[in-house]
Amino acid sequence: MFDDGSKIVKLFGLSFNVGNCVAGLVTAIIVCAVLIWLSRNLQMKPTGKQNILEWIVDFTNGIVKSAIPSAQGSNYGLLAFLLFVFIFVANQLGLIIQFVIGDVTYIKSPTASPMTTLTLAFMVLVISHIAGVNRFGFKGYVKNTFLSPMPVLFPIKILEQFTNFITLALRLYGNIYAGEVLLKLVFQMAQSHGILTFIPAMPLEMIWQGFSVFIGAIQAYVFVTLAMVYISQKVEKEA
Amino acid sequence: MYSTFLLGDAGVQWGDFLFYLIMFIIMLLIVKHFAWGPVTKMMDKRATKISNDIDSAEKARKEAEGLAAKRQTALENSRTEAAGIIDRAKQNGEQQKASIVNAANEEVKTMKANAKKDIQQEKQDALSSVKNDVAELSIEIASKIIQKELTPESQKELVDSYIEGLGKQNGNR
Repeated sequence: MFDDGSKIVKLFGLSFNVGNCVAGLVTAIIVCAVLIWLSRNLQMKPTGKQNILEWIVDFTNGIVKSAIPSAQGSNYGLLAFLLFVFIFVANQLGLIIQFVIGDVTYIKSPTASPMTTLTLAFMVLVISHIAGVNRFGFKGYVKNTFLSPMPVLFPIKILEQFTNFITLALRLYGNIYAGEVLLKLVFQMAQSHGILTFIPAMPLEMIWQGFSVFIGAIQAYVFVTLAMVYISQKVEKEA
Repeated sequence: MYSTFLLGDAGVQWGDFLFYLIMFIIMLLIVKHFAWGPVTKMMDKRATKISNDIDSAEKARKEAEGLAAKRQTALENSRTEAAGIIDRAKQNGEQQKASIVNAANEEVKTMKANAKKDIQQEKQDALSSVKNDVAELSIEIASKIIQKELTPESQKELVDSYIEGLGKQNGNR
């Protein structure tokens, strides 16, 4: 096994993973900068970069609409949009740069850490429950979320909240983390026996990077889709 | 390796949790203010504009249809009018032709009649002059015959005088 290069810093009694935080910050800055750049000089007739932005917005709005067909859906457009863009950029970041000084990795995919994905999933879950309470009131929310279609299913419904949360986070984490591990393993293989392994490892690495780009996009889509499905379970009346 | 798992030897990194939560919320606000808001506003504006444009296009299409119908009827009217004008012109031409021919016929008739009259006149004149001549001749002949039935002397005298007269006539010529 190899060292994952995490460095823990204690601050205000909280422990921070430096690599994770720096990578997350870099991702956030990239996302904000790109989105702000794309949204400059908006026009009625879209051209160039505005088309890209509008395509992404249309895409995530489509995800929201397919999960929450009622008028409620329009409230979650921004959440779905930002989740999608953030996770997509986070997934690709580790494929483009791995910034390592000494033993410490400073930049990698933030989504290759379970803390990141658990935070995002937690946020989605909390938002979904708040939305449910907002929509139906507390009584209606409990009835709609936990006691339908029949009260007997109550324990399973409670359990489902946790499995939803855990699977949503760990699916994303597992995919991206595995991708990065394999990239590192191929890299180690390339270094192991000089030119003999370097040459066959090159195309292997390239193929796997391409595949990881694909996986990163798919996982971003899956995360957003499931997040919207979980929200829709809380805000839509179950038939 | 182990610290990447949730319950590693360093414990749960709650700092990361808080960091991501706050960062995501800040990102949400920034993106909403700078990118999402303007873009969705623009898209909504475009949607309303497109629906308005479709409505106005529908209206314009209806108007154009009305105009086309009007133009069609006007065209038809003008066609019938043109046909009427041509018919009338033809009739006029026909009439004119007939009147010209009639006038010509008339003229020819009058000319013929005039010519006939003239000829008749000439003939009459010629006949009357011939009649006069004949009368004169017959009178002359009669006078000659009357003179001949006189005595031989007188007859001789008559002949002589006649010859003389002839001679005189010849002499005069």
